[in-house]
Amino acid sequence: MATSGTTAPNWLNVDTEDEMPKLTTLSSCMALSDVQCDGYVRLLAADISLEDDEPSARLKVFRGLRLKQEQLLPGIPAAIESLYIDETEPKTPVIAVAIAESVLFFRHMKPYFKFTIPALEVDDLELEVWRQLPVMPTKRDALLDSLRNLEHAKLSRKSQKLLQLSEEERESFISTHADSPVGRHGNIVAMCCLKRVSSDANPPSHLVLATDTGDILILEPQGFNLVYQARTCAYETTPSLLSVQGTFETDFSILVGTRNGGVYLLRKSTNEGHGQEVFKISSPLTGLLMLPIDQTIVVTTMEHFYQCYSKRGKLLYQVQLNALPVCILSLTLSHFGITLLAIALQGGVVQFYLQRYLVDEFVVSSTVAAMLYGRMGMEDHVLTLVTQENQMFVKILRRLARFEPKSSALSLASKTAAGRKKNGDVSILDKPKKSSIFVEQAVREKQHAKATYGSFQVELWRLRHTAARATIDAINSSETSISGDLTHAPVKLAAEVCGTGPAFRLYLTVQNLSSFKMASNLVVLLHADRRHYTIQQSMARLPSVLPGVPLRVDFEVVAVLDPIDKLPPATLTLDNAQIRVMLLKSGQAKPLIAAAVSMPQSEAAF
Amino acid sequence: MGMLHNLADLLKIKKDKMTILVLGLNNSGKSTIVNHFKKSNEQSAIMVPTVGFEQQQFYSMGVTIKAIDMSGATRYRNLWETRFKTCQGIIYVIDSSDYMRFVVVKDELEALLQHPDLMNRNIPILFYGNKSDCEDALSSVKIAAALGLENIKEKPWHICSSNAVSGEGLEEGVQWLVQHIRYAMLNSHDGAKLKAHSKNK
Ligand SMILES: Nc1nc2c(ncn2[C@@H]2O[C@H](COP(=O)(O)OP(=O)(O)O)[C@@H](O)[C@H]2O)c(=O)[nH]1
Ligand SMILES: [Mg+2]
Repeated sequence: MATSGTTAPNWLNVDTEDEMPKLTTLSSCMALSDVQCDGYVRLLAADISLEDDEPSARLKVFRGLRLKQEQLLPGIPAAIESLYIDETEPKTPVIAVAIAESVLFFRHMKPYFKFTIPALEVDDLELEVWRQLPVMPTKRDALLDSLRNLEHAKLSRKSQKLLQLSEEERESFISTHADSPVGRHGNIVAMCCLKRVSSDANPPSHLVLATDTGDILILEPQGFNLVYQARTCAYETTPSLLSVQGTFETDFSILVGTRNGGVYLLRKSTNEGHGQEVFKISSPLTGLLMLPIDQTIVVTTMEHFYQCYSKRGKLLYQVQLNALPVCILSLTLSHFGITLLAIALQGGVVQFYLQRYLVDEFVVSSTVAAMLYGRMGMEDHVLTLVTQENQMFVKILRRLARFEPKSSALSLASKTAAGRKKNGDVSILDKPKKSSIFVEQAVREKQHAKATYGSFQVELWRLRHTAARATIDAINSSETSISGDLTHAPVKLAAEVCGTGPAFRLYLTVQNLSSFKMASNLVVLLHADRRHYTIQQSMARLPSVLPGVPLRVDFEVVAVLDPIDKLPPATLTLDNAQIRVMLLKSGQAKPLIAAAVSMPQSEAAF
Repeated sequence: MGMLHNLADLLKIKKDKMTILVLGLNNSGKSTIVNHFKKSNEQSAIMVPTVGFEQQQFYSMGVTIKAIDMSGATRYRNLWETRFKTCQGIIYVIDSSDYMRFVVVKDELEALLQHPDLMNRNIPILFYGNKSDCEDALSSVKIAAALGLENIKEKPWHICSSNAVSGEGLEEGVQWLVQHIRYAMLNSHDGAKLKAHSKNK
């Protein structure tokens, strides 16, 4: 069984001088934000109080673990997000709080705008009933019956309320509400940020809203326009979980989990339409996420399963959990190039998975109900946990942390392999002839084994170090798209990647910028991590490039996928999904141009 | 008169014979402290930002001061750890207002003390409880307790509060460090050789 065992834990527990703060909240109602614009990221959380007869919520701001500010919210929020709405400096984050049918916007912790989602259509018959009700008391029972015949969920709140009242109360209710509008609003049940463009630090974002009527809306938070409207699926369902990946301008995927266990995918092209069912499971979901790296979908279910699906709904793997999963969270450890999945189980255990392998776990005093991960304060990898007993824990990733599979299956596999080796056919190695020089050398090596090995290693590392340095210097010094070498004709290199993967085509355009010199003897060399991309032909000799006539060459690049689960390797991240392109002149060690082409994420092939 | 002037003077050592490392988490105030030293020496500064981990280096009166950011960049760890071998003194800067990260400061300090290149050497460590002017700042006594400094037995250490912006407290710390580097060098084999060298002059 996996335990954190004898090695030092991967997480450092933060404690305070004073008492740990108490908090009642949900993962969606916590956010990290540089609210004061001082570079110190603070924790924001809605503290929901259900104890009084009227439930209320307060928005709290913590600096580290110290409560610094709080204010009453006008309702119980469904979600809180911190986002940037424009590029103006200094960048000021905006806090969006979704409450019932509205999103409240705060800047510097002061509310400045309230956006309300559009009202839903009301049945003509219902409107007609409300026109007649005040003026035709005699027909009232018939009118009420016709209201009852309409679908209850599609009635306005006013009509729903009317039907619930007793005979005596109806009279006065009708007279007081006779002229009020027959309006119907959905409630926002989930909200996520969607970056507008690329993923540089703190890019401006849009907000994705999911309502309980199944509408998925994207709100542009500068002019407060809806820039995307779609429905979860063709019929009415209630979303409960939401996960978003991609960027608004290029392409994005919105994943919606419903209360019935259905999971629907909406894309940019789905605007005005409805989402596609990816898969449906019989038991309700407790967590749903789309992972940023390989675009797979992970869910946790009431039946104690952690499952991973492809975007086409194929079950890639599943893990049976020991207890009910309560909430899940993805943690991107950029410095390791991995994304972990944290699963909080009933009872207080929090487990960390790297794909299907358990790599770490710890236990806190009671079941964790909410989790948040990201940069907090001045530290990059901070995990905040809030338990069902309202305790808050803050854990910081140790700088020396390691995540390795602890699965007993792995050790079992290696054991059987070792066993096979022992009783299998061990071929006898050929020994060299024993000349006197060899014998002397052997004796020397035996006596000074440690020193010999040591000096060999030192020299080897020195060589590798020198080689690596020289390579990096050579590449860095020509990291542009236009060559700067004065003795040659200036050349320009442009790259374009086509295809959705796993097979891509990389088109390179080489252009001679000189007006009279010919660029000859050029070679293009591609280099990529062998674990991530396979390049059939990684070198091409180019014909002479004439001034003004661009030359186009193309290469096939195939993304490496795990043969079993068709996933890209875990070491592939957005940062290292690159192919280095070097333009060399034959006979010259230093490249004319070295550039890195970022590769798009590969669709899995099934 | 600059602080480092007397440092080199007192030690009477050959130029570039001595290195002081300024360590600490990002944002603790290392650059500000190093800049302060620079100012007081009126020397042209050499700034050497290297790839991956921030390093500021400046050389003055025979003393090289190197500031190294122990920020999250784990992959550069071995790079900055190579500097341990050649240093004679360590300044460990702590942001005394960032209580949340004390646990990281402590963890890093433990790793530092257990590093093979430092473990069995008599290197003085000066702790600056920096940003003492901030409202949430902890006193140096509390910092020492939180970090368990009393457990450091094999190395001389000293903690003082500082305000790197105004320069308050920096002088006191450096004086202590100077003395202890001198003791350490005189006691060690290296120190004996050095002494002989200066006598010959
Ligand atoms: N209030 C206050 N601010 C400080 C002090 N020392 C440094 N700072 C500020 O802390 C920030 C980080 O300092 P810096 O020297 O860049 O830290 P480094 O990352 O360790 O090099 C800067 O904005 C400094 O102005 C101090 O003693 N008091
Ligand atoms: Mg600095």
